[in-house]
Amino acid sequence: MRENPTGAELLAIAREVLRKELLPLLPKDKQYDALMIANAMGIAERQLQTGDAPARAEAAELAALLRQQGDLASLNQRLAQGIRAGAFDHDLTAQDLLWRITVQRVRESAPRALDAYTGK
Amino acid sequence: MEAQQQQAIAQFFAEKTGADSAQLVSANLLSGGAIQENWLLSVELNGGSHAGQLDCVLRSDAASAVSASHSRAQEFALLQAAFAVGVTVPEPLWLGSKTVFGRAFFVMRKAAGTAAGYRIVKDVGLGGDKEKLAERMGEEMARLHSIKPPRADLDFLKLPAQAPALQSVSEFRHFLDQHHTAFPALEWAIRWLEKNAPATAELVLCHRDWRTGNYMVDAHGLTAVLDWEFAGWSDRLDDIGWFCARCWRFGQFDKEAGGIGSRAALYRGYERVYGKPLDADAVFYWEVHAHVRWAIIALQQGERHVSGREPSLELALTAHIVPELELELLRMTGVQHA
Repeated sequence: MRENPTGAELLAIAREVLRKELLPLLPKDKQYDALMIANAMGIAERQLQTGDAPARAEAAELAALLRQQGDLASLNQRLAQGIRAGAFDHDLTAQDLLWRITVQRVRESAPRALDAYTGK
Repeated sequence: MEAQQQQAIAQFFAEKTGADSAQLVSANLLSGGAIQENWLLSVELNGGSHAGQLDCVLRSDAASAVSASHSRAQEFALLQAAFAVGVTVPEPLWLGSKTVFGRAFFVMRKAAGTAAGYRIVKDVGLGGDKEKLAERMGEEMARLHSIKPPRADLDFLKLPAQAPALQSVSEFRHFLDQHHTAFPALEWAIRWLEKNAPATAELVLCHRDWRTGNYMVDAHGLTAVLDWEFAGWSDRLDDIGWFCARCWRFGQFDKEAGGIGSRAALYRGYERVYGKPLDADAVFYWEVHAHVRWAIIALQQGERHVSGREPSLELALTAHIVPELELELLRMTGVQHA
């Protein structure tokens, strides 16, 4: 049993101290560095929060689409090869999966960018 | 800069300008060049073609130079070619040899202003009237695109073996094939680029990195177009698409010309110099192309960190730009959540 707060919670509060208390005190030429650190902490925090469930679901959906087994990396490889060969040009199921997989990655790496795509 | 180098540089300026004497007043190394070194020089010249104080930038290979895309001599030739057709670049002054500075270099006039993209798009005090700035960008681009092959002075630029759009498709795939991780959404967009590739009627000299962030402005307007290391023969819309691509608007998405102005202003300026209308539908293709190209470059930059060769927070975060570029690519190519 690990201690609480969790890693994600620690990153969240540490990020708040960085942004609200330290950032205003930094000289102008160092503020960009602090923003980059906050950004990196945010990505790590969201990855921890999300856990492995989406990756497992992604692997299961890819396996069903491609009708083969394998780890996520090799299934992705097969999907990429199929796309290049034109096998999914008109496959709406594949395209829908591609969209959802990508949204999930944006949610972790740059969630604010998703605002422009809501309602899709 | 070592005393011996300083003396050699002063002598170099005296020879090039025909001055009676030359004195190096200051030499400051500018930040941010792993491949090239940029020195801000102030030189006092007595007599000759540039009598008085000359502020300029000396650009050389870095001491530990890795192989770069263009050599200093090639970059100088590109600046000269662009300057000759009236593109606003730092005026290329003289090419210097290894014997003077220990490394190949050239000297260009110093340009004033700032290049920081996120400031330029937001600060109303920068760049003058932004619609006019966008129009000026179009004019400048069209001037550059008046340069066409063959050109003896630019014979180091390879002619693409196939249509530039398809050439890019091959290059993107070549990169992904030797990369350790697959990127299905990028593959999807590259497949779209392959299926929709336009023919290029005419090859022109393109800058290939002409975007907000790579030109300088002062309070009144444009002062210099920078960063010529990717220049090459391509489709004129390659530059237009790169400039307009959503990913280079620094958050000002409604200003489709580089986050600074309207697309209409950019096209108006371009067409005035070009003398013909731009194929607006075909520009969209090159905006898709721009997103793929930036995603591939971002992967390459991220890999410099991931591989352990060059630990850097900025490079590490660049890799995390890729998903949002992919999502925009899916949207642009018609993929939507069912």
